[in-house]
Amino acid sequence: MARRPSWRRRGAGVLLLACAVGVASPAEVDSSGELRLQPAAVDLNEAGPLAAANSLVPGIAPIAGSGLRIEAELRGSWHPAATRPWLSVLAADVLLAADRPEGGPTDNASRINELHAASDFGAWQFGVGKKIVGWDVGYGFRPNDVVEQERRRTLLPQTPEGRPLLEAEHFAAEQAATLVWVNPNHAGDPVDAQRGALENALAARWYTREGAADWHLFARWGEHTRGSIGAALAFVATDELELHASARALQRHDGWTLDAQAGLAPVASNPWSQATLGSTSQWLVGASWTGQQQQSVLLEYWYDGTTLSDDDWSRWMARNQALAAFGALPGLPPGPVTAAAGNLAWQTTPLDVPNLRRDNLFVRLAWQPDHWLLSADALITPADRGRIVTLGVQWQGDRWRFNAVLRAYGGPDGALLAQLPQRRVGVLGAAWAF
Amino acid sequence: MTTNLRWLSLLFTAFAATVAQAADDVPALLKAADRYRTGQDNLQVETLVSVTNRDGSPDKERRYTVFVQAQHKSLVLMRSPAEAGQKVLMLGDDFWLLMPGSQRPLRITPSQKLLGDASTGDIATMSWADDYSGSVVGDEPCLPDGEAACRHLSLQAARKGVTYQRIELWLGKTRHEPIRAELYVQSDKLAKQARFVFDKPAAPTQVTEMVLLDQLSNHKETRVRYVSRQGKVVPEAWLNPMFLARNPALE
Repeated sequence: MARRPSWRRRGAGVLLLACAVGVASPAEVDSSGELRLQPAAVDLNEAGPLAAANSLVPGIAPIAGSGLRIEAELRGSWHPAATRPWLSVLAADVLLAADRPEGGPTDNASRINELHAASDFGAWQFGVGKKIVGWDVGYGFRPNDVVEQERRRTLLPQTPEGRPLLEAEHFAAEQAATLVWVNPNHAGDPVDAQRGALENALAARWYTREGAADWHLFARWGEHTRGSIGAALAFVATDELELHASARALQRHDGWTLDAQAGLAPVASNPWSQATLGSTSQWLVGASWTGQQQQSVLLEYWYDGTTLSDDDWSRWMARNQALAAFGALPGLPPGPVTAAAGNLAWQTTPLDVPNLRRDNLFVRLAWQPDHWLLSADALITPADRGRIVTLGVQWQGDRWRFNAVLRAYGGPDGALLAQLPQRRVGVLGAAWAF
Repeated sequence: MTTNLRWLSLLFTAFAATVAQAADDVPALLKAADRYRTGQDNLQVETLVSVTNRDGSPDKERRYTVFVQAQHKSLVLMRSPAEAGQKVLMLGDDFWLLMPGSQRPLRITPSQKLLGDASTGDIATMSWADDYSGSVVGDEPCLPDGEAACRHLSLQAARKGVTYQRIELWLGKTRHEPIRAELYVQSDKLAKQARFVFDKPAAPTQVTEMVLLDQLSNHKETRVRYVSRQGKVVPEAWLNPMFLARNPALE
């Protein structure tokens, strides 16, 4: 379970920024923001382990359904006089958000996305605080986004939550080097308190530009995942065509494992847990083409060795079927039926990953005439022919922006993407910028 | 006496030839025209872009801070609420975009540079002399139905990354100030017609506004107003693509 900063700590951060801004002259302060309203409708899946669990014991595992989200995102930065290079910028991005699921209580989803200070010594730049540091060159997947580890392909664009970090950067005309100590607050914590993007780690990036090509080299040392190295390239081949590639080799990685004792029968506790696993790799190749009429095509293929293998998923499927069959045995007392239903609900645990299958194909078409942005994309998992299809339309004015997005998950019965709790999701968005 | 007359005649011929050559010296004409748009190699320009529909109703308004630097380097900061935090960096024929949510500089193609509300080339390119070569077509009326005479230049892009492949440009005959232009894209289609508005129409010193009329699709009118210009050499680090993710103090 991720450790979240307390409201007292968040409030202190906002208060600190407010005090700093309060003593600054208006000319030194830059501020902006956005108010957003996002109703969502969800069509639940009648297949998959969660549906099977609720079919055995109705309501045992409530599924997040339709609802409404209200957000206010406030951004501010304070630039003191240039004679103070040790404090060149103090910046914050605060999200005030509330989720109101259909028929449920309102959930406070507010957070501080960014709160950081920077020092400017010319070619040398330093930063400290909670900050978004995004690396790598891909769209659908970014193996070398080793600091932020941003969740990709969200329904609507959103500012991710930054990471606590210390940062040193050096800039030359065509090269840049960055060293980041991310999550220093987790140093020495138990391994389970610093999984994934929460791990205490040192990360470095070296960048150079050679004409139409951008080259990146990456290295990361995590407290329990140890070393990883990576490289990425973005290359503009013609006026319309851009090619990109990224690869990373990992000494160890965090991933889901099934308790070896679990077998096919119900067990008393969730048999799925995060563990530190062995070496693996991740890579991506992609191309984007943009035409004169503002139409574009993006094609990407990637491999993610940190997710479960095809054999692991076959065993997952077999366990689902065995649990459902066990729970449906005629004359079974309520206790074992509930156990089977609970175990089926736990089977959704390993679905919480950026990529379900190791091999993925992604294609996105977009057309951007004037105020409009029309897009259609599909993520396909060749191993089982599963697919996620997303259609989107956006209208952008001077201050108002409206979005409508529809996403459908599917594929043959055996496809993982056809086993997810949701079958279709639709979101409307209205945003007013100030 | 006869010898003196011959010398005078020779001198006059040489002078006339020099004047004629200067009048047809395209780089010199473009440099003179550029002075009305920039005035110097490195500057910071606050730009307001207003778009109106064909029926005259307002369509949209965008504000930009543009750092135009020598050697075809430009940094564009989007300042309007709808685009706040977006940045575009142009280094010769190479382009990068930063979207504020991701804080990740992204390499983009020349075609992608044209996406969005305004062509970044229209607001970040302030010089013809370094980007185009061409020839003088001749003297023509400045406007098709006008009386004032202009110098008509036909220009071809001299490098890859420019927004317009061909420009037909009409300059004032005496001061060489830009009066109007026809802007053609790669496919040699007329994309926009441009005309220039000056601070003092009788004795112009600076272009205060460029009015673009779309000819390709929506026939909207875009007014690019130069709210302020000041000399500014930005630190070298600002022109590193990876620096886009940082948040420098703007004077």
